[in-house]
Amino acid sequence: MRAPRIYNVVYAAATYAIMIFALWGVFVYVPTEQVQGIVQRIFYFHVSSAFTMFLAFFVVFVASILYLWKRLAWWDHIAASAAEIGVVFCTLVLITGPIWARPIWGTWWSWDPTLTLTLVLWLIYVAYLMLRVGAYDERRARFAAVLGIIGFIDVPIIRWSVEKWRTIHPKPVVIQEGGTTGLPSSMLFTFLICLAAFVFLFSYLIRERVSLAQSQHELERLRHDLDISLLR
Amino acid sequence: MFMRQVAAIFMKDLKSEWRTREIFTSMLVFAVLVVVVFNFAIGADSELIRQVAPGVLWVALLFATVLGLQRAAQMEHEDDCLSGVLLTMGDRSALFIAKTAGNMLYLLLITLCTLPLFSIWFRINILSHIAPLSVVLLLGMLGFSIIGTLFSIITLNTRTREIMLPLLFLPISVPLTIASVYATANLIVGKGLSDITDYLTLMGVFDIVFLVIALLVFDTIVEE
Repeated sequence: MRAPRIYNVVYAAATYAIMIFALWGVFVYVPTEQVQGIVQRIFYFHVSSAFTMFLAFFVVFVASILYLWKRLAWWDHIAASAAEIGVVFCTLVLITGPIWARPIWGTWWSWDPTLTLTLVLWLIYVAYLMLRVGAYDERRARFAAVLGIIGFIDVPIIRWSVEKWRTIHPKPVVIQEGGTTGLPSSMLFTFLICLAAFVFLFSYLIRERVSLAQSQHELERLRHDLDISLLR
Repeated sequence: MFMRQVAAIFMKDLKSEWRTREIFTSMLVFAVLVVVVFNFAIGADSELIRQVAPGVLWVALLFATVLGLQRAAQMEHEDDCLSGVLLTMGDRSALFIAKTAGNMLYLLLITLCTLPLFSIWFRINILSHIAPLSVVLLLGMLGFSIIGTLFSIITLNTRTREIMLPLLFLPISVPLTIASVYATANLIVGKGLSDITDYLTLMGVFDIVFLVIALLVFDTIVEE
């Protein structure tokens, strides 16, 4: 089932190349935004991280459903790996967000719907990872799958509720929306390259993480068999 | 048949609770305690108290819920009661519905006992808004019971169950908490049900979506 070594090397090299290309795009190629200045360049990493985070949590959702349906440990490995990587990207969003917000909005944090949603998602998926601490066990995999499904279905409902909640309070600062539709073509190009780099990185990381999980699972099984044969 | 099973489990839980009154007492004392502690934390500013009162009420009820759910699930764990009950069942969703109904009943009783104290201490006239408020309370309690019951049975089988339940329960129920608090806040300042239809819809959608999902996945949680 495991891919040959050369394939992995090529994949890693391609990911590396596109990441370097994205860095060149963000720091050299793209012009500095006139109003926001140099800090606007964090947009390319911030939005790409956010996209990758949602992609990762969506993978958790799909893998969780497939696990409950097919009961193959492999789907559980995928869900666990995607959740771990998703939390990493979610953390990146929560770090790059305030760095961008401080000079532009004048505050590190605002309880804006998108920010609040990201924070709640972080809490949910950190709890997901805590639920699955320890070795692979079939029952725990089922519990995690249930949480993986509920957590993702909760996303639009949380989004809806925090939007309602924010209308109670006026927004403390003027929020400048960086919508992609209004982007000049050079910025859009850089953004798309950056997005591709993040998605490549995500797929590379998940491949590695899943293969690690499989090895761990195999090791545990062998250890278990060994214990039994020694007891005889 | 299905309803008889639900009723049988529900009555069994009530009977054992009636004999000890363990869950109810601990939940009630805890909820009252949270309200009192918040009262000290906020101070004597009556305008401020009015503003934060709905939040305090729901935080107290939520924390008491976590405590009660833990206790209710724990009792089922002792002597492996859950396995015994599951052996006798045809349709396992009957167990989930009975447990949810039981937890919801405790929650409603706690609310009923906490509300008068809350009303007196925070100087808010609850009685004049009781009819619309009970709609909000019912919708809120239903959702908290569904999510809470599901997660209390999940965390029952994990090593760090005391800490895992609030960690799962609180973030997932964020939409319900927001809707409950702001619906209550609107009712307290004299608005009617027609002003809070958005929140009621939100609560209704939350309750229905998670009831359906809970019923779909419950079998996979309790299977051996």
